[in-house]
Amino acid sequence: MALTTATWVVMLVVVTVVWGSASVAIRRSLADEERKLRLVQRQGEIDTYSPKALADLRTWVEEHPADPYADEAKERHDECVETLRQLDEPFYDWSDDEIESLETFNET
Amino acid sequence: MPDSEARTAREEWGTRFGFLMAMLGAMVGAGNIWRLPYTTGQNGGGVFLLAYVLLLFLIAIPGLMAETMLGRYTQKGVVGSFREIVGDDLYSGLSLVVVLVNVGVMSYYAPVIGWTMYYAANSLLLTFFQSGFEAAAFWNSFTGSPVLTVGTHPVTMAAIAVVLAFGIRRGIERVVKYLIPFLIVALVAVSIRGLTLPGGMKGLAFVFTPDWSHLLRGDTWVAALGQALFSTGLGWGIALTYGSYLRKYDDVPLGGGVFTAVGNTSIGLLAIFAVFPVVFAFGLEPASGAQLTFVSLVKVFPKLLGGQAWAIVFFLGFFAATFTSGIAITEVGVTTVAEETRLSRTQSVAAVVATIWLIGLPSAYSSEFLGAMDYVFGNFGFPFATLTIILLVGWKFGPERARVIDVNRSTDLYVGRWWNGIVKYVIPVVIAFILGYGAINSIGTENQTLMMGGIALMVVLSLGSVLVMKFVSEPTPTESTSSTVQRGD
Repeated sequence: MALTTATWVVMLVVVTVVWGSASVAIRRSLADEERKLRLVQRQGEIDTYSPKALADLRTWVEEHPADPYADEAKERHDECVETLRQLDEPFYDWSDDEIESLETFNET
Repeated sequence: MPDSEARTAREEWGTRFGFLMAMLGAMVGAGNIWRLPYTTGQNGGGVFLLAYVLLLFLIAIPGLMAETMLGRYTQKGVVGSFREIVGDDLYSGLSLVVVLVNVGVMSYYAPVIGWTMYYAANSLLLTFFQSGFEAAAFWNSFTGSPVLTVGTHPVTMAAIAVVLAFGIRRGIERVVKYLIPFLIVALVAVSIRGLTLPGGMKGLAFVFTPDWSHLLRGDTWVAALGQALFSTGLGWGIALTYGSYLRKYDDVPLGGGVFTAVGNTSIGLLAIFAVFPVVFAFGLEPASGAQLTFVSLVKVFPKLLGGQAWAIVFFLGFFAATFTSGIAITEVGVTTVAEETRLSRTQSVAAVVATIWLIGLPSAYSSEFLGAMDYVFGNFGFPFATLTIILLVGWKFGPERARVIDVNRSTDLYVGRWWNGIVKYVIPVVIAFILGYGAINSIGTENQTLMMGGIALMVVLSLGSVLVMKFVSEPTPTESTSSTVQRGD
């Protein structure tokens, strides 16, 4: 029995989207873990936020200074900034200029 | 309640692969193999699948991210996470309902694992290939024999107890690292055989041919919503519990969200390719549930060249799928009991497994009782648990706060502000809709009594849980002097 064109199209779209996403997700996840572990073993630490995520975190703390979670958010932010200053090789795509421009909340 | 963290260091997954396989094993169960193919064929084929995949990305993935984040952030099980976020607020009492729903579900899922174990054993013994073998008669004699159905129940629970007693890394991770790849290889092998059979393409036509008239039907979208939300295990407390064993450097969105949802669906698709071509090639009526697997397929294997090998591969794979889900559902209770009582992990495993075994006896004895439990927990228990967990992130913790502090920490995939609205509004509305739709649709049908019983059970469990949690959280005079400051809104 031959499948219709519409059947083939739907099957290929679903298979590509689902199996494709799953393959990409597992490959990227495992590759990133390997890289993270290598960096942690070599440097003892890695940066925990990407430039975009750290900027979000800072903005949120500045906008919610009285939030019950603000202190913890500051700690996480500052820990990442201090780690970035000490590292030879960050995990995320940080430029030297970007790292130099970062400030911990204690410094502002 | 004692602080478990003060007593023992919390375990962590040994590897990323172990975590991913554990999440996959937790969410892939009998439903992927015997429900998804049939549901797809009955709801517009390709149209249903397209709707399902769309809703998977739109709702299930963001929801799973929220739930996994909750566990990773608090580093606690279900009850501990709720208490961490809302303190001893009445809402934290509902956390116990989530745990009880898992215990209730496992009480009737354990006998189903027993069925797959029995069939896997019989495939190894080549029972299906003996002369005069009748698949339907074999199934009826098995389900009609309390000795067998009640007898396989403790074997299942004992096997799960052994795995859980070894802990996260040495128990669960070690088992899923082998069973899940085996399941995938088994389904691929059977798919190749099925697709090469004359007439196998009819099975694919049944599942994938789009019937566009279903596109505007409410039933199609409700079925797709249900499949996207509940086949991925969103809001059961499993992602929360497994997420609580993640390390600081682990990623939540990619592994906990994207991979768990699309990986689970990938195996569902594999099941479609494995099961339906075989069923259609031999001119059998497609069916859903146990009939499909335990009668239709068993009839087919003896007709296949090398059928013994295909039957062994398929039933061992099917057992792997159900067993790893059973491990995950039971672990939700084990983690909670170990954290919230003075019991050790081994004692907690024994307590939870014994409870499930005991309350699972009626389901093991009677398939009618099992069906009723499935209806009540599937239609009311799971949606209620999911709503409870999603509301915790969306309305108590706050999605923006969760996103910036933890979801995007150490992530391989940046999550933007779009996530907030989905977690806060879309998922709760969708789940409330499914709950209401299920209840209204059962009015005037044979399920009306079960529906009313299901709602009553959820109300009783909620009130009871809130009272129990309030009672156990009441500070003693000595505790009140050293109480910690609560965080929350």
